[in-house]
Amino acid sequence: MVHLVDTVEVDAALADEYLAVVETIGVPVMTGAGASFVSCSTTAPDLGEPVRIQVVWAFEDHDHWNDIRKNLVLDARWYEYGDRISALRTSGTRRFYYRVSFGAPAV
Amino acid sequence: MLRRFELYAIGVEAPPEAVRALEGACRECGRFIPEVLDSSVGWNRSEAPVRLVWEHAFESVDAYRRYMVHRFHAAVLDRYILHDSPERVVTANVLGAGLVGYHCDGPDYRMAQGVRRLVLLRVDPGTSGEDVRQLEEVLNNARFDVPDMVVSVSAANSLGAAWFDGVTPVGPSPRWTHVWEQGFPALEALESYLAGGTELALAERQGWKTWRGGIVTRAADVYYQRLHD
Repeated sequence: MVHLVDTVEVDAALADEYLAVVETIGVPVMTGAGASFVSCSTTAPDLGEPVRIQVVWAFEDHDHWNDIRKNLVLDARWYEYGDRISALRTSGTRRFYYRVSFGAPAV
Repeated sequence: MLRRFELYAIGVEAPPEAVRALEGACRECGRFIPEVLDSSVGWNRSEAPVRLVWEHAFESVDAYRRYMVHRFHAAVLDRYILHDSPERVVTANVLGAGLVGYHCDGPDYRMAQGVRRLVLLRVDPGTSGEDVRQLEEVLNNARFDVPDMVVSVSAANSLGAAWFDGVTPVGPSPRWTHVWEQGFPALEALESYLAGGTELALAERQGWKTWRGGIVTRAADVYYQRLHD
């Protein structure tokens, strides 16, 4: 299992809007393409600093991701999703994570 | 073989360090994905609305498919490219040529150093197969007529729509039906060709309008100095 982890920073006043876009567009688009939705988490919004939002998707392996990627590229809603979230965030990262077993070599 | 080009427009607000990271990921891709051959990048010097060009090749369709599922491709290259990635630095490519490429028997595109030029052509869909073959032959032979044109390869843009597996078209047909890849030892040699009197230089300056009955209905070009040269 591979996890795709997107972590973004948004102005606290825009955090709810960002989450709504993930819920209403991101989740149906990504799951429709074949990914599994794992979680969506945020830092606290009342600390007087930007909010970090982390969204995690899962899939079997990179063959599976390649199929998901194809489906996304061919889905017009994915472009709308990208446009909406990019307008709301100020920065962010994307990383792939691979499950490890303690004592075994890293992937 | 598969010869392939990715052409990127870069967002005006893209962090310079992220843009450099994309350039480095493309240039060094072959270190991480051995299937990626002849990988080189350059910054566009033409007026076409793209900034970064990544040229590369694959030995076979199978090699291309291994590249597609390699984690360096997914985790590093696509980090800067995919539409929903938080680290995206590219923007919509209005040239209609985000990805172009062709199948070939061998690496006739190779050159030791210099300026690479891509001429993107849209051939009238009503053109006969024989006329298309003659078009490709004339363009392939241009290097024998043009001083200092060290590479001249023309082929159908067979990868523009077959980006998923290198064979099967998916999505809409590409805007550009053909790719004419050129190589020159230096920018001065390219400029000399463009200002010269060969049949093809004249056709280019006239927008291909009357050349061979007007079978080329649209054209654009991109050229760049390869960064590792």
